[in-house]
Amino acid sequence: MITPPAGLGSIGSISGLPTMKPLGAQDTGEGFSGVLKNALQQVNQLSGGATQQIGTLLQGGNADMSSVMIAVEKADVAFQLMMQVRNKIVSAYQDVEKMQF
Amino acid sequence: MNLFDSLTISGSALTAERQRSEIIAANLANAETTHTEAGGPFKRREVVFESAGTSSFRLAMASSTGFSGRTPGTVSVSNVVDDPSPSVMRYEPGHPDANKDGYVSYPAINPAMEMVDLMGSVRSYQLNASAVTAAKQMIQQTIDILKS
Repeated sequence: MITPPAGLGSIGSISGLPTMKPLGAQDTGEGFSGVLKNALQQVNQLSGGATQQIGTLLQGGNADMSSVMIAVEKADVAFQLMMQVRNKIVSAYQDVEKMQF
Repeated sequence: MNLFDSLTISGSALTAERQRSEIIAANLANAETTHTEAGGPFKRREVVFESAGTSSFRLAMASSTGFSGRTPGTVSVSNVVDDPSPSVMRYEPGHPDANKDGYVSYPAINPAMEMVDLMGSVRSYQLNASAVTAAKQMIQQTIDILKS
């Protein structure tokens, strides 16, 4: 008889994976708005970090120019992505609004 | 792996190359230095690069916590070491640092070699800056998918 390798049975119990909820189910606040808020906060954090690093660089502080540029680039890209997601959401909302009955 | 990892990795390489070129510049500047705080002539220095580990433990940590101190694959200067080669003795009896036989010990630095190292460092910096641009373009194109 072949014995299954140890630990194989625990594969099904990986925690932390996002679970899909059925539409209309009451979840605990962590809905779409929560996701959006979270993303916005992260973008804000990146941009704040970049601003701080630029300040240090301009004041002649001990900031590495290349890492400041990378931080600015990250903040820029994150903001653009956030902006595009926002545009998409707004256009979807407007599409729904214009719906004819 | 997230969206910014290639930017982080190339950025770390830019920082490391800048530090390397600083060390090379110090070697060039002190090619004729016979007097240091530690005593004796200036010692030629070299950088040692180190890559952040891609061990399975680190990857597991990064994936389970969502946060790792350093992105696997980033490079950093782990150590700056002195070149052990002996200093060059030159006969200059009038020099204040001359020994009793009239010889002054100069650092064993060849400016031509340092220049070549510096060119290598500059080229490497260029290369990584190009990698940053490429990563940026890739991200930009991904965002462009969302545009109608």
